[in-house]
Amino acid sequence: MSDARPGGDPVDRTDEHDHTGHGGPGYTTPQAAIEQSEPEKVAYVMGLYVGTDVDAPDFMGVVDVDPSSETYSEIVDRVEMPNRGDELHHFGWNACSSSCHMDGLERQHLIVPGQRSSRIHVIDTADRRNPEIENVIEPEEVFEHDLSAPHTVHCIPNGEILISMLGDEDGDLPGGFLALDENFEIDGRWEPPGEIEMNYDFWYQPRHNVMISSEWAAPRTYYPGFDLEDVEADNYGQRLHVWDWEAGTVEQTLDLGEEGLIPLETRFLHSPESTHGYVGAALSSNVFHFYDAGTEYRADPVIDVEAREHDDWDMPVPGLVTDLLVSMDDRYLFFSNWLHGDVRMYDISDPSNPRLADQLWAGGNFGPSHPIEGEREVVGGPQMLQLSLDGERLYWTTSLFSSWDNQFYPDEAEKGSVMLKADVDPRRGTMSLDEDFLVDFGDLPAGPARGHEIRWPDGDCTSDVWQ
Amino acid sequence: MPGDDPESAIESYSVELRFRDGPTERIEAPAGETILDAAEEEGISLPFGCLTGACGTCTARLLEGDLDHKRPPRALKERHREAGYVLPCIALARSPCVLDVGAEVQSDLVSNPWK
Repeated sequence: MSDARPGGDPVDRTDEHDHTGHGGPGYTTPQAAIEQSEPEKVAYVMGLYVGTDVDAPDFMGVVDVDPSSETYSEIVDRVEMPNRGDELHHFGWNACSSSCHMDGLERQHLIVPGQRSSRIHVIDTADRRNPEIENVIEPEEVFEHDLSAPHTVHCIPNGEILISMLGDEDGDLPGGFLALDENFEIDGRWEPPGEIEMNYDFWYQPRHNVMISSEWAAPRTYYPGFDLEDVEADNYGQRLHVWDWEAGTVEQTLDLGEEGLIPLETRFLHSPESTHGYVGAALSSNVFHFYDAGTEYRADPVIDVEAREHDDWDMPVPGLVTDLLVSMDDRYLFFSNWLHGDVRMYDISDPSNPRLADQLWAGGNFGPSHPIEGEREVVGGPQMLQLSLDGERLYWTTSLFSSWDNQFYPDEAEKGSVMLKADVDPRRGTMSLDEDFLVDFGDLPAGPARGHEIRWPDGDCTSDVWQ
Repeated sequence: MPGDDPESAIESYSVELRFRDGPTERIEAPAGETILDAAEEEGISLPFGCLTGACGTCTARLLEGDLDHKRPPRALKERHREAGYVLPCIALARSPCVLDVGAEVQSDLVSNPWK
């Protein structure tokens, strides 16, 4: 079951990490990913039925994103999970460019956790258009480590896989990290218990021996929906944790304060030399720049999305920065304002002074409900983003989390999500909506589905790390 | 339902499941089995997620009768419990019950706080 092939052709990697003629995971450098990757032909997208009356399990959708294909912008395959009730959410690869020293290891298996069920699925993508479930780790095996609510999946350079876990076995705090071995079995808890209380996303920069993790809340707090009472009771996170990556211990905790409520997606720049990164504080609707200031890490708010008045709302509508990513060339930051309905593109050539380059509106509370004339209504806002490795195509889906969708975009349960795409010009810093591309998750055999995270078979801007 | 088999001598209760905007179903729930499991056994699908009482996906409202949660219903705040909300994934019937069920019930727990 392992993707390591000790019997494979030996490759001499002592010489400039040469990947020539080798089918292993990833690319020598971020620039090599841009130059050598082919445009994506399929996308893997999480599809959800949990929390609706559709009596079907969640699935991984295989979306045709090849413009020359007859089934362009269609869901051409659905890998159904064996159980209902998972809430598929985030997922990740067994290997990425950080595994460059693992000769023969391939980026072939997707680790697909159920956020609510705590069940972890392993999907083999050897046949890219017809992936198959290969292994399932049942919730009871996860609970044995006093962990639940698996979220972010990153491979680590030795062939193992690390998953952020947001709760203990009761869905309460503290969370932690679960390690899987290269055979996709639980290896154990990664860090000594007690390092953190809340957890959410994480990213590591191995060259600097650093990992940064963020905070959502206890699963019991965020699972049922967003309740202001929990914000007032300090049940939501506002901290970043700076880890010693090798030791698995927290070296520093940064309190982002009221401007940094619910820091979610955490992205270092891709250059292995960089000690700069960004995190989106969803509730405060701010983007923070974090960086190594010499003796410690610091985090400063660098983008503030102003709440906007809306005739139908009693209070100004926050943007809700729910996802953000950095282009492979580290020149642009993209983020979504899920409640407003826009995607923004910032020039980050000066990392501490992002400059708004372009902005695109589609759905949400302020964007057009029919961003593509003649196409179906979009009932959510831009949410999970994914960018092509060459930085020229930005895709997104519209669902955040089933119970939160029900509060803010209740029609999404009935009408389903969409996946949209913008063409990006990374030379001129512009985006334009591709009016020939709309994937309708509302029109599926079992019923309308939600759509969440997106990945490409050959790596993407939110999973690849370099040593 | 008493019988010769000691297993079948375990007490069970009639539970009425009233789906919002849907049919009403009646199941027999053994006292030691969760309402979710008892419904599944009779081929009736209720929504669910964590199965540990943390997530609230299965939230239902108890309209009549008594039930116990076999572990703390962490997804429910005190105001929810006082209003009769229960979690069928960890709920054991203690008398004949009538429940308001279906995926929509969960969305009663919280609304858009700014609208």
